[in-house]
Amino acid sequence: MISKESASKILAEGLKTGADFAEIYIEDVSQLRLGLDDSRLEQAIRGTDRGAGIRLFFGNLVTYAYTDVLTEESMLSAAKSAASAGTSSNKNQVIDLTEKTSSLDFDIKKAFDNLSIDDKATILRQIDEVGRAHNPLIAQVFAWYMERSRKVWIYNSEGLYVHDNRDFVEMGMGVIAQKDGILQQAYNGFGGQVGLELLDNNDPIEKIKEAADSAVRMLDAKPAPAGEMTVVLPNGWGGVLFHEACGHQMEADFITNGASAYANKIGEVVASPIVTAIDDGTIPGRRGSIRFDDDGTPSNRTVLIEKGVLKEYMWDKVEARRVGRDASTGNGRRQSYRHMPMPRMTNTFIDAGEHDPQEIIENTKRGIFVKSMAGGQADIAHGDFVFNATEAYLIEDGKLTAPLRGATFTGNGPEVLKEIDMVGTDLALDPGMGMCGKGQSARVSVGQPTIRLPRVMVGGTGE
Amino acid sequence: MTDYLELAKSVVGKASSDGAEAEVIITDSKNTQVKVRNGEVDQLSLSGSVGMGVRVINNGRTGYAYTSDLSDAGVETTWRAAQQLSAVTTEDQYRKLPEPQPIPEDDLGIFDPNFEDVTTAEKLEFLKQVEKYAMDYDEKIAVTDFCQYGDGVTYTYLANSKGFAGSYGSTSAFAYLDAIARDADGVSVSAIGLGVGISFRDLNAKTIGEQASRKALSLLGGKPVDTQKATVVLDPIVGGQILGAISAALSAEAWHRKRSFLLDRMSQEVGSSMVTLMDNGRLKGGLASAPFDAEGVPTKATRLIDEGVLQNLIYDSYSAAKAGTISTGNATRNGHRGMPSLGPSNFYMQPGTKSVDEIIKGVDKGFYVLSVMQTGGVSPITGDCSMSANGLWIENGEIKQAVGGVTIATTLDDFLMNISDVGNDLTQLPFMGAIGVPTLRVDHVTIGGIDS
Repeated sequence: MISKESASKILAEGLKTGADFAEIYIEDVSQLRLGLDDSRLEQAIRGTDRGAGIRLFFGNLVTYAYTDVLTEESMLSAAKSAASAGTSSNKNQVIDLTEKTSSLDFDIKKAFDNLSIDDKATILRQIDEVGRAHNPLIAQVFAWYMERSRKVWIYNSEGLYVHDNRDFVEMGMGVIAQKDGILQQAYNGFGGQVGLELLDNNDPIEKIKEAADSAVRMLDAKPAPAGEMTVVLPNGWGGVLFHEACGHQMEADFITNGASAYANKIGEVVASPIVTAIDDGTIPGRRGSIRFDDDGTPSNRTVLIEKGVLKEYMWDKVEARRVGRDASTGNGRRQSYRHMPMPRMTNTFIDAGEHDPQEIIENTKRGIFVKSMAGGQADIAHGDFVFNATEAYLIEDGKLTAPLRGATFTGNGPEVLKEIDMVGTDLALDPGMGMCGKGQSARVSVGQPTIRLPRVMVGGTGE
Repeated sequence: MTDYLELAKSVVGKASSDGAEAEVIITDSKNTQVKVRNGEVDQLSLSGSVGMGVRVINNGRTGYAYTSDLSDAGVETTWRAAQQLSAVTTEDQYRKLPEPQPIPEDDLGIFDPNFEDVTTAEKLEFLKQVEKYAMDYDEKIAVTDFCQYGDGVTYTYLANSKGFAGSYGSTSAFAYLDAIARDADGVSVSAIGLGVGISFRDLNAKTIGEQASRKALSLLGGKPVDTQKATVVLDPIVGGQILGAISAALSAEAWHRKRSFLLDRMSQEVGSSMVTLMDNGRLKGGLASAPFDAEGVPTKATRLIDEGVLQNLIYDSYSAAKAGTISTGNATRNGHRGMPSLGPSNFYMQPGTKSVDEIIKGVDKGFYVLSVMQTGGVSPITGDCSMSANGLWIENGEIKQAVGGVTIATTLDDFLMNISDVGNDLTQLPFMGAIGVPTLRVDHVTIGGIDS
């Protein structure tokens, strides 16, 4: 993007006032979004976001300045601005920049331009037609397609230079079903760090039919009960519970400031012995995958919990430096060049266990099976979580019976993790639509096999 | 300095030269962000950003493109992309730019002319004070999290091919932290402190810091109560979550697209007589106030629910054209990256006369809810409303023990109907535009807890 000489000059400018580390993060993002709603293709949006962020470390103080203009002059000016917090004349040196490459093969198979914009729009129109024709109770259909190309270049005063291309595609769709004044909504979709081969491996037409069936079934749902229940969570997206209620508490910034329940607990039993949990940014094609994180550290497979024992946290460069660790785990991520990196998850999942998923339901006398759920949220201080089912069923004597609406589930993540009493063999990652918010947004994947939680508070208005 | 309004007008000229309608927005902002951790400044970010968005409507077909690259080449690529993309979308006779209207010149109080006089050092010191007030409040306050200050000044320039050209500046500042209280056995609970305003001077370090710690401390040791139906008293930060969903159900677009639990109930009684809901884009000092909306239509005040009766919806020019009425000036957009879309501005519930203490005194047995979490549990579409909740138990008008680990559930219909007290403490929250909500008393809410 810029020459090594130019990068070295900008880094040296950043180090002029006593900073002990300087970094340039350059980003070039272009995206296309097509959106259909109410049987009309209403959104066709193309966007470009391009800029650079200069980050300096003065011990534990981190300063940052960014610019939308990718000239040497403009980046030098940002470096001056970030350096204005320093007061020392002690100048650290920039080590010669050497490019590092990754051996991970994330190359996409079919470039975005293998289909024209009209072809992509046609798929959305087909989704609309099929969704409406699938069931007369379908009152509304919406669908979108998004492609995004994110190129990053990172240079730092320790001699690091890396370049990464991250290409994403996602397609989402949903319906509203209406009967006797009752409305229900259901979504579906898929995505990943892939090219248009995504559309070869997923059939949007089948997905809209699934969403339509789900919304229609939920029209007859009765209010969920209130009180403590046994809950069976689905494989794949069900892993959002671990992500929210436990994963965030294993991010190093909450460890080093002592906010997390998992601080100072390495080597201790923190989960049921049938639980192993992993964060893995190296899986090809997944939404949270990265060859390098946004500090320029190669991504990793990090075992967080092994058979119930806490093994490791997720680190970025700032937090690793803070405690004098040699290396981060490659979990430093940022939303854009306008943001500083922070510890974030990549693809995070509970590993496969030994129970047949069907048996998990058959062995549950009374409980709730969550077939699909919206996102979750957790309080990082103590891991109290909440999530809402978008499709759920009562389990009675080992069988799924009535569909339930309005079910909210709440509990404490670290406690629930110790109580998990069945883990299925059916590990799956989510379909690739996950977005995680922590002040900044990041694309992530979650996953798990079918799991059973013996005791979760359920909040509905029913009996 | 580039004259961004002139630039916007010249791009409108190029993008509409083939007879299409065109609209150009340019935003120019400067931001400061600071984080403090354990009494020290942890992060400091100082920057500015400019962006342009171009909307082209060609015979009812809309294309949109945006860029952060305002070089001549970047600008040309962008308006040409918007032109090309308009060919992809579906023709829609109601998609038109609004005719220009005079913009009232009253001072909305959204720009602090002394904004740039506050030094970075003052902001750093202020945020350290916020943290210190929280930590010093009680020895059980173990740590704070996310202790941050942010401010910004944004200039918005909008021009279109119907002849509209306007600009305005707005400023904002906020400070936030989570205070974490921890008892002897290591159980912890957190609560937020938040201050928002038009200027740095609107924020009070003591109020923000102590608010978080007071709340966290009162919630410590909370246990579930029995499952039951009871009266709840909702802190503004809780009521704000519910009003956010109700605002989404009062949009003309939501009605047209069958995404509202209030669908087709115009002129009907949908709430108790204490419920009056307003949307006002010209609220003085309002976080979402602006002289004109995202497509250049003057903003105004709209009464949506009047003493329980549904009176109106919010409209942008598209939904108004479709319904044969006029826009309420509610086109909103996500900076230069978003196309205009319909959304609330300053959406608020008319406050009542009682203080929070008076409301609590009137409750025989109930739950004073201080914080909730929900992720889609409050739906403007289905009207379902359930959340996890923490707070304090009320008996005979007095605050008793802390309550935690429970759920509260009702429906949005029942919520509106069962509001039986509205406080005088209207609080402005920076959710979805800006939501204003006082403390609310709501009867007959299901609390999910222990089965007795």
